[in-house]
Amino acid sequence: MGTLIIGFFIGCAFGAILYLGGVTSYRRILGTLRLKDMWIIKLMGTAIGVGTLGVYLLDLGGLANMSIKPAYVWGVALGGIIFGIGWAISGFCPGTCVVGASEGKKDAISTLLGGLVGALLFSMVYPYIEKGLIQNANFGSITLESVLGVSGIYLAMGLSAGLLGLIFFVLKDRYE
Amino acid sequence: MKRDYIISWKAAGIALGLLLTLATALVKPLGVSTQFVVSDAAVVHKLAPEYAESNTYLSKYGEKQDWGIGYGWVLVMGMFVGGGITSAIFRKRQPEQDKGSMPPMWQARFGDSMMKRYAAAFGGGVLLLFGARLAGGCTSGHMIAGVPQLAISSFIFAVTTFGAAILMAKFLYRSSPEA
Repeated sequence: MGTLIIGFFIGCAFGAILYLGGVTSYRRILGTLRLKDMWIIKLMGTAIGVGTLGVYLLDLGGLANMSIKPAYVWGVALGGIIFGIGWAISGFCPGTCVVGASEGKKDAISTLLGGLVGALLFSMVYPYIEKGLIQNANFGSITLESVLGVSGIYLAMGLSAGLLGLIFFVLKDRYE
Repeated sequence: MKRDYIISWKAAGIALGLLLTLATALVKPLGVSTQFVVSDAAVVHKLAPEYAESNTYLSKYGEKQDWGIGYGWVLVMGMFVGGGITSAIFRKRQPEQDKGSMPPMWQARFGDSMMKRYAAAFGGGVLLLFGARLAGGCTSGHMIAGVPQLAISSFIFAVTTFGAAILMAKFLYRSSPEA
């Protein structure tokens, strides 16, 4: 029960941040994908920069509850391509369509309903593609740490510094 | 010029990174797309229980007793509630062009038809969740949460997603004056 309450409040904060940060805005998403306005790249890059350091600092203390997704190369890559096309067409992603729907945006509600259909379609074709796309070329839950054999905190510090440096000093006010 | 945002990308980005860290410390990282399957599975288990049990994907989610409605599902419900409350409070400060169901950028390119916009949003949604489930996550689980864990799968997802999305966006707006 405690976990459910925590999940609910984390979700509330997540939804609030996405709304306040303008992530439910078609203008921001398509502006970024058309490479006109780097808002979403800067926002996500900052989140990833801070999050990478946060997660690996937790990991140092043994406090991170990691959840590493398996790397089945073909399925992930093909899924990414299909996802990217859907993202550019709708202007929402699975999280922002939920938040957009909560604002009363009817196009977000359409995306949400389409998403429920898409997930159902996937579960219907799953038995036929499981072998070729998910079991094939599946390297399991590998990370940069396990592949390179370098302690995660060093990689995390490098990635965070690189990303935040790029965003705050190079991209900074360009495209704004 | 009127401010065209509510909070800056810096503030939102830092808050999101800290929230991800908090979630990883307390329970597990953020994620959304799985919950679309959990919701589907709950319905299919009601309407066609035999199919739900026989389908190797659906049977993993939404059991008869426990519908798989756990941490992840209440998190998505929370997003709806948190987004709804915040948007009600901050509506006045939301930039005009970000309000409503017809984005001005879309309208300038594809015309006034609401049906066209909704159809595209729906079709895009089908592709989004099909792709996300195939890849094993979406922008939240793979990018916001996956890259910080240095997961190789998430790097693959981030590159292919942005690659395809940028090409598609450029294609859709190919005839726009400032394309």
